[in-house]
This record gives sequence, C-alpha cells and structure tokens, in this order.
Amino acid sequence: MTLTNEKAFHINQLNLYYGNKLALDNIDIDIYQKQVTALIGPSGCGKSTFLRTLNRMNDLISNCHVNGKILYNENDIYSSDSDVIDLRRRIGMVFQKPNPFPMSIYDNVAYGLRCQGVKDKAVLQKAVKKALVDAALYEEVKDRLKESALSLSGGQQQRLCIARAIAMSPDVILMDEPTSALDPIATAKIEDLINDLKKDYTIIIVTHNMQQALRVSDYTAFFLLGEIVEYGLTSELFSHPKNPKTEDYITGRFG
Amino acid sequence: MLDNLLKIKFKNTSRGRITDKISKIVFMSATILSASFIFVIAGIIFIRGVVPFTTDNLGVGRVSLFHFLTGDVWLIGETFASNLYSIGFIILSTLFITLLSLAISFPVGVLTALFIAKIAPKPIAKILRIVIETLASIPSIVFGLFGAGVILKLVYDFSSSIGYQSKGGNSILSVVIVLALMTIPTITTISEVAIRSVDPAIEQGSLALGASKTQTNFKVVLSSAKSGIFTAAILGIGRSLGEATAVSLVAGGRRSGLSFDLLDTTSTLTTIMLEGLKETTGIDYDIRFSVGLVLMVVILLTNLMLNAIKRRVGVVHVKE
Amino acid sequence: MSKNKRRKTYDTLLNGITYFASSISFITLLAILIFIFGKGYKLLNIDLIAENFESQGYVADLYDYARLCNCESDIAFDEGVYYSSKWGIALADQIDLLGKNVIQIIYVNPKSPLFEIRDKGIGNEPIELRDEYHIIRIAFDNYPTALSRYGAENMINYLNANDELREIEFQTKGGGIKGSIITTLYLIALTLIIALPIGIGAAIYLNEYAPNNKFTKFLRSLIETLTGVPSIIYGLMGLAIFVPITTKLTNATGGNIISGAMTLAVILLPVIIRTTEESLKVIPDDYRQASLALGASKTQTTFKVVLPSSVPGILTATLLAIGRIIGESAALVFAIGTSIKDQVSLTGKSTSLAVHIWAMMTDEPANIELSATIAIIIVLIVVILNILIKLISSRYLKRKLGISI
Repeated sequence: MTLTNEKAFHINQLNLYYGNKLALDNIDIDIYQKQVTALIGPSGCGKSTFLRTLNRMNDLISNCHVNGKILYNENDIYSSDSDVIDLRRRIGMVFQKPNPFPMSIYDNVAYGLRCQGVKDKAVLQKAVKKALVDAALYEEVKDRLKESALSLSGGQQQRLCIARAIAMSPDVILMDEPTSALDPIATAKIEDLINDLKKDYTIIIVTHNMQQALRVSDYTAFFLLGEIVEYGLTSELFSHPKNPKTEDYITGRFG
Repeated sequence: MLDNLLKIKFKNTSRGRITDKISKIVFMSATILSASFIFVIAGIIFIRGVVPFTTDNLGVGRVSLFHFLTGDVWLIGETFASNLYSIGFIILSTLFITLLSLAISFPVGVLTALFIAKIAPKPIAKILRIVIETLASIPSIVFGLFGAGVILKLVYDFSSSIGYQSKGGNSILSVVIVLALMTIPTITTISEVAIRSVDPAIEQGSLALGASKTQTNFKVVLSSAKSGIFTAAILGIGRSLGEATAVSLVAGGRRSGLSFDLLDTTSTLTTIMLEGLKETTGIDYDIRFSVGLVLMVVILLTNLMLNAIKRRVGVVHVKE
Repeated sequence: MSKNKRRKTYDTLLNGITYFASSISFITLLAILIFIFGKGYKLLNIDLIAENFESQGYVADLYDYARLCNCESDIAFDEGVYYSSKWGIALADQIDLLGKNVIQIIYVNPKSPLFEIRDKGIGNEPIELRDEYHIIRIAFDNYPTALSRYGAENMINYLNANDELREIEFQTKGGGIKGSIITTLYLIALTLIIALPIGIGAAIYLNEYAPNNKFTKFLRSLIETLTGVPSIIYGLMGLAIFVPITTKLTNATGGNIISGAMTLAVILLPVIIRTTEESLKVIPDDYRQASLALGASKTQTTFKVVLPSSVPGILTATLLAIGRIIGESAALVFAIGTSIKDQVSLTGKSTSLAVHIWAMMTDEPANIELSATIAIIIVLIVVILNILIKLISSRYLKRKLGISI
C-alpha cells in the first residue's frame, strides 16, 4: 500500500455548535488525498456532523455555528470569500438514504452539469456515460436511461447517486453511511466501487459498520462525544488501538 | 480529470450567488405583498368608511356617528339626499341572526361529525363525508337561490298556516335557516378533525371503566375535542357574519325598526351593503364602506371575545 | 337489569340523534340538487351557452320573389299550437322567462315564404326566422296589424286572411349566458395569471428561504388573517382601489374584468400560498441536499428540483382557485359590477355566472329558472373540480408511497 502525504484537508481546532450545544470539540485532523478515510463512532458522536462541515452542508441548519479552520487545498473553506457553490462542486456527497431526484436516470446524472450551465448535448452524453461506467452502473441501465430513477433498486439508486456525484468530476467524495439502507449484496458492490474510485478521488466515508471500515479504508478516525479519540492507519487502529476507548468500541463492548 | 478530459467549462459560480440573492428578494417581496393586503384592506375601508362622518357629503350634511351606530332607521323615504343613516338595529339583528343560526348549525354539525367519526358504519361515513364536502364547496349564491326558491316558500306556507302574513317568506327565520345550512359543513369538517385527533387512550380509559361506547362518545370524546369544536363554532360564526349574497335574497331588506320576530323581514350588515346597489351614488354609496367598517369591527370583536373564551375552556387532550 | 335496559334505551336515543343530525346535510344536498335540476333542466342546452342574454329585435319584410307555399304539414301539433298552411308557420302562446306573454314560433315549413325575408334595418341583409323566436307584430297592407297581445290564434287568422305582408317584427329568444360564461373564463385566466406567481413565490419564500423568526411568524399570521375577511369586504377594497386604478390606466369606466380579477387574486392568495406550502413541506429534504451537494445554487435547486416535485400541490391550488372564482359573488358584485352583457371585453362592463344569478334574483320579477340553470352549471363544475382534486391527491400519495422503499 502506497501512502502519500499530500493533504486534502487540514483541519485545525474546529469547534461546532448547535445553538449553545457543542457538537464538535477541538477537532485537529489531516485528511490525505486519494485515500479512503473512514469515520467511525457511536450514534451522535459527531462523525456525520464533521463530514457535513467539509462541504458546508451544515450551513443549511440555521443555529449551527463553526469556528476553527478547515483548509482545503490551502484555502479556508469557512472564510468569508469562500464560494460555497464552487466548493460543493469540487466536493461531492453521497447520502445515507439513496436520494435520486424524481427524474430520469440520465437527467439525474446530468443534473449537476446542467446546473453549471453545460448545455452541449454531446458533452453531457459523454459525461453521463463516463460517470455511469465509473460507478459500475452503466451496463445495468444503458437501455433505460430515460426511465425514472425511482424505478431502480435501492443499491442501483445509491450507485446512481455516486455517478451523479462523480459526473461533476469532484476531487473529494463524502459518503454518509452510504450502505446503511442497502442489503449485503448491494453493499458489497458499493464497497468494490469505493475501492475502484479511490485511485481518482479522495473518499471520506462515515460508517457504522466496523467491518466495512476495515475493508474499504486506509485511514480511520474514531469519534466519541464530539471528539476524535484516535486517528491513524486503519490497519494499525484496528490491530493495535492506542486508546482503551477505541478498543472497547471496535471490540463491540459499547456503541 | 474528467473536466479536462471532456473539456467541460464550468461557469463562474458567483453568478449563482447573485441569482440566489435576487430570487430571494423576489420571493420575499411576493410574501410581503401578500401579507400587506390585510393592511391595505383595513386601511382603505377605514379611510373610505369615515368619509360620511367627517365631511358634509356634498352638501347633504355630516352623518352623526352616534346616530349611525344607535338609530333604528336606515334611511327615511327613498331619497338619497339625506344624512340620516343608521344601523343600530341592523347590528343587533345581525348578531341575533348569527346566534340563532349557530344554535341550529352547531349541534347539528357537531353531532354529524361525531356520527361520521365514531358511530356510522364505514360505507355510510364515506358517503356522508362526500356529501359534506360537496355541500361545503357549493357556492353561497346557490344556497341563496335555494333559499329564495325553496326556503321562502316553506316559511311562507308555514306562516300562512298559523295565520301570519309574511312578506313572501322573506324573514329572520329564512335567513337563519339558509345560514345554518351553509355553516353546517364548515362546523362538521372541523369538528370531525378534532374528534378524530382525540387520543384513543382516553377513550379506552372510559370504556375500561365500564362506560358504554355511546356514553364514551358523548361524554369523553366530545369534551376532549372541545377546543377543536370551539374553533369550528368560531369559523361558523365568521362565515355567518360575513355572508352576503345568499342572505340578501331571503332577508327582505328591512329599513327601519328593530324586530326579533322570526317571521318579520330583516336586514344584516351585509345585506344593507348590497341594498339598492345597482342604482346609487354619493353618500348612499360611501355609507356602505362605513357599514363595512362596522362589519369588520364586529367580526374582530367577536373573534377576540370567542378566542378569549376558548382559552378559558380549559385543558385539551389532543394528540399531535 | 332494568338499569342496564334504561342505559341501552338512552344510548339508542343518543345515537338516533346523531343519525337525525347527519340526515339534515344529506337532505339539504339532495333538496338543492332536486331544486336546481327541477327548475333549471328545461333551459339547459347548448343554445343557452351560445345565446346572448339580451334578445335582439328585428323588423323584416319579404323579398319580392317570396311566394305563398300552401304547404300542409304532416306534423301533429300540440293543442294550443296554430298552423297556417298558407304561410307554412306554426305559432303558440307562451310565457317568456320574464313572465311576459309572447307568441313563439314553433315550426317553420322549409318551403315557407317566411324564410325569404330581409332585415329592414341595416343593409337589407337576408335574415333567418327560426324556431323559438318571438313574433311581436305582423303588419299587412290595408288590414289591421296582428299584435302579440291578441294571441297566436288571432295572428294565424290574420295571416290566413292575407296574401302579402308589409313587415314582420320579431326578436331572438335571448336569456342565454354566453357573455357571463366568457367573462367567467376571462376572470379565471386573468386571476390565475396574477395570483399564481405571487402565491407560489410567497409559498417558496415561506418554506424554502424564510428564517424561523418573529418577522416570518408575523407575515404568516397576516396572510392567515386574510382568510377570515368576508368576501364582501374584499369587494369594497376592489371597488375602492382596483376599480379606480383600472379606470385610470385603461378606457374602463367602472368595474371591469381586470379589477374583478385583481380582487379575486387577493382573495385567493392565502389559499394558493397555503396549498402550495403544504406540498412544498412534504418534499423530502434529501432532494434539496442532494442538489446543493452537487453544487447547484439555491435558485437552481428551487426551480429544478423543488418546484417540479410540488406540481400536484400547485395544481390542487389552481383547481381550488378556479372553484372559488366560479362561485364568488359578493366580492364581484362590487369589484366588477352586476351588468349582464353579451359583448365582453377586459375593460368593459360584464359579469360572472355567479353574479348573473344574483343580478337576476334581485330583479323584479326574479328569474328562478335561468338562475337554476346557471346553478346547475356552477355546481357541476365545482363537483368535477372536487373529483379532480381527489384524483390528484390520491395519485400523488400513491407515487409518494412508491418512493419509500
């Protein structure tokens, strides 16, 4: 396994509040490019909240305040001159529940590009095909691109959502428990896909499933009560956890 | 990567932020415009409504506010060149009529709601719900036509049979019946929602104490739903007070003298606004805004009073 | 035991009361339907919709080439219908919608000379004498004029006694509702054009943009208050604001379709806002987040994802609005006026179907038959709209259920 040390994100003393409640406490973490980083921890530990700070989806929550620094490619994404729309174009996101738009399969994948003003049909077609191929969905849907995305199975819908994200050619893909609503077979397909995608993309995945973290990730961060308890190479964190709390969690003693 | 590969040109995203700002402003203006109409309405009715009391009405003379609110003659004779308008008797008859029609529509509406929600077999409840929905959507002018064509005749025949010469059936009784029929669907619909949202645990508690299903319905369910049922009554009163065209076809257009005789003709605040509307100008037109102003004040006061009572009605057990 | 029995009797009595109460609504609806159909069905036909309300009077005379036909009719006419085989025309005494005695044409033989007549008024245009027209008088040379008040039998006798006629005066049936139908359609279109963008825009703001603060609550409560304002008050507002505005800006002289539509738009705003907002509320937040996460702007998200998903709600709002426009009377009495007109223009005087009823019912004598006919049309449309709304919401719900896996 080759590990590069190029950082995608450098996060420094990040605090996040919902109203007066501290939800993320002094997070310091570097996330590396073209690696899969898994965020694990019990429910309510702040891992999803943390994920959503990276593309500023928490902006949608009205009483949510952030301080500290998140440097993405050396730029502070929470600075006043940062462009949220551009940021989200570069950082794709896949959600817990597959959430394709109630449109055709083709329109779902083309949506983001169209929003960016891409109108050329040939370009769109190429991009949609490439995204579907990369998301390992093309063979299954190539004959019914005009059909509603809602006619797909749950696993297919989730891969469509991944295709939709990679059609924007992002640098980073955030995945928020992408397999929690899927059956084991669909889950396996997504995990394979993640392994394929990491050569091109930086992937950060929130998961409840320790086995999944072990299978797909290079780095793992263990969150507890809004803090990062332990962060390191997945292989090391799972085999030799430094913190007893980490050990308790990964061995299933709580959570 | 892909964008280089396919030579996709992304547009400058700052444009997106600007359109976001513009569209927010546009949508917000639509909201503020919509909300502002309540002030526009109140303002214009007030401005136009006070004209008869503050000007000499092109030589006719100022209308005395006190006389307007307390007198019992709308206008003497047929001449419009007079400042002797008053609606004291009309305010009272309007309230009297509203109260009477509620006395019919409230029990009927609430009992119908109870029947649909708890008592009726499913197919009957379903049909009845369609009946109520249809009745609710029938425009008031059709109720007015029905009143003029059917209720007037019935009331006329009834009054003749007891030896009373009514004016073609135009009477308080006809108005009350028409208004009651119109408000029953409103009261039924809202009461039914209130009855349905009563927590089943409360019902089961009553049944477990050995009360029969009927006793539970009448004693526990109705009293638990009383807040919602009260809201239904408030809306019913609002509809009765504001109804115009239907009432105008069966009221008879009384122009003087307070009368609570059920078979006598009457006027309400709304019918007097419509009275002789087709051929009129000057003060006789302006004075309608004054009546409108009084109507709005009456509705406002009634609502404030009823809502104050509603708060006093006490605890409510409503499942969210 | 006896206590139990008494309780049962008491329960049955109480239940009986609810049955009785419920039957009132049922009887009311039935009575209304029986009444309007019973009174109005006779006039319900295509002519009514295509016909003018005002009857048109004509004075006509025969072309020179018109010849008496002496055509016997093999039609068996009812009693009270008089037929002149000489002239080939059948007449009868009737009472028109306004209660006047008239002579109505029952039948004109295809070979009748009375088909060969021309309008003496303008340009000597040929005109057609049709069934259901009313004959006012027929004048002859050197013979007393046959007037409608002497009855159909007299008119036929006079006709039979003459070989020529100098002129014939008649009028079209009238009593049609073409003008009011067109006005109503104009009102629907114009009101929706004004109210839908504002209402939908406000709903979008309230559901998608508005911060959860006191000012938003205040705006909401103001809009909510509008629903409690009686429509007659809206009418006064329309009269005091929109009528002057339209008379200033256009060639209108009083209440007109534009001022009526503006008033209706204000009435409908709260309905449209509430219904649209309900449909925006049920759109899963997932869609919005997915769109934003793809780098779409908020505006793009609103127009490309949120609005298309709320189409059923907006459609429901539109149908509710149409129902309300068709049924509204009190506000329009003030905001558009009560003059029933056959020639409709946006700035001219004319009135809607509902006000048409009110105008006829407040006239002397009241025209209950035609009012009932219009009422049939209004009630039918309202019922159809109700059914459509039901269909939309049930299909929409099905699709919603289909989404959840």
